[in-house]
Amino acid sequence: MNRVEKLAEQIFEEYKDYGVDKKEIIEKLKKLLVEFRVPENEALRTIRNYIIREYGAPATIRRERITKIEEIREPNRWVTVKAKVIQLWESSSPSIAQVGLIGDETGHIRFLVWTKAKKQPVEEGKSYIFRNVVVDDFGGVLRLNVTKISEIEEIGEDVEVKPPEDVSEEVEVVGALVAIQQNSGLIQRCGVEGCSRVIKMGKCPEHGKTQPKDDLRIKGVLDDGYRTYEVIINEDGVKALTGIDLEKAKKIAGETLDRNAVLIELKKMLLGKYLRVVGTATPRYLVARHVEFFRPDIRKEVEKVRALMEEI
Amino acid sequence: MTVFLKREVARRVFAKELMSSTYTLRDDSEKSPLYVLTPLGLKCNRVFIIGVLTEKEERGEDGNIYRIRIVDQTGSFIGYIGKYQPEAYEALEDIDTLTLVALTAKVRVFEGDTRKFVTLRPETISIADPESRDYWVIETAIQTLERIREMEKGESETAKLAMEIYNPDLEEYKRAVKEAVERMMEDYGELEVEEEILEGEEEEEEFEFDEEDISFEEEEIDLTELLED
Repeated sequence: MNRVEKLAEQIFEEYKDYGVDKKEIIEKLKKLLVEFRVPENEALRTIRNYIIREYGAPATIRRERITKIEEIREPNRWVTVKAKVIQLWESSSPSIAQVGLIGDETGHIRFLVWTKAKKQPVEEGKSYIFRNVVVDDFGGVLRLNVTKISEIEEIGEDVEVKPPEDVSEEVEVVGALVAIQQNSGLIQRCGVEGCSRVIKMGKCPEHGKTQPKDDLRIKGVLDDGYRTYEVIINEDGVKALTGIDLEKAKKIAGETLDRNAVLIELKKMLLGKYLRVVGTATPRYLVARHVEFFRPDIRKEVEKVRALMEEI
Repeated sequence: MTVFLKREVARRVFAKELMSSTYTLRDDSEKSPLYVLTPLGLKCNRVFIIGVLTEKEERGEDGNIYRIRIVDQTGSFIGYIGKYQPEAYEALEDIDTLTLVALTAKVRVFEGDTRKFVTLRPETISIADPESRDYWVIETAIQTLERIREMEKGESETAKLAMEIYNPDLEEYKRAVKEAVERMMEDYGELEVEEEILEGEEEEEEFEFDEEDISFEEEEIDLTELLED
């Protein structure tokens, strides 16, 4: 395809819905570029203006460059993405209207809509084109900012999203452990090689009755007063916090003839405690790699209060 | 695509702010829980508190409900724990009064004859240590001050609404936060406390009176709420 055809193709794609004739575009372009030797951008402008005049096409139409989310690697870029809203989180500040996670088939990224942007709220599960959003870096995490000059257009299409389990990021969270779920403590996992699903009512949801393996873990909720994290703490983490490892847990269960006794003990030791967790955050879970009781430096922390007091 | 259920955040709020709340609201969404709007514009359905358990009385026909009082640096919270919250109930049975406790609780509002008022329905209760309490005071101070700042700006919907309904004295709240933090910092070898504790005590008395009045009504609500969960 020569250069003229390529440019004609580009214009034709932009305006094909307005009944333009590709041959006509090629002829005019040829004339301008080959015969009159005008610069390319002038030639394109001439054609566009002609189409707008003759075919009544809107003047603002432009071919959009949609960026795939995995291509977003650095801050301060303006991009347009087509993505589905995976999850909305509670906004921590009145200046932020909405905050959450969006994704396309290549990845996920956090996004936030500033209150000043005055946009219609987006909804979880719906797909949109986010035009002219700017990437920023917030504590090492890239985010898309919807500002006043951005546009959000809902689209009928259902954008395919990369499964959330495939993305993760390393975070550190300090929060109170406000809940421990029932499927915590001394649990059983499916014994089938490579399965490890948690046994419920004596059965693996995939393999039915199998020879189970014992495991010790906590599934709970960490809460810092602004948002919640569903946290998973494995045996090492449980041991680091409570001194109870799998062997000890089995012993407790054996002595009391009650596997649930382990959970009761863990709840007693951990509920309402402030934990510092370093781990991998998927949109669904925070998987603890390191966990400890949070030991605040109160004198240092109180400075934050005083600074804020000065400010208001 | 899975859309995850959103769990309500356990807010950090001092007793003075929460217990002065009388207004409730819901979101636009159909399944919205009931929120309490505090005088500082916080929409709150769940709280996390660390304070001193000062009272624990058996109530109800066969003593199957505990009424508890938790005191923080600014005032006190009242909560009810029934046997239908077995986890919190059993945990509470092992905890004596005058112990530091941490609790996660749902916020509930009752309509008395004269006004609405707030009580707590604890989901978990456990013994806490002084260090965690101190950190809670700091967290709560910061989050309260952030709310005061938003009230001063007066831009957000909840701030505007709170201003309209309560017209709170922001200076008074600032003072309460300051006192709370300073009282806590005394243990760290830091300075004087100003004396303005009396105010809070008066409020408590008044509260007690209201609440005695309608204890029967409350228990009825306890049971209906059980079915909703």
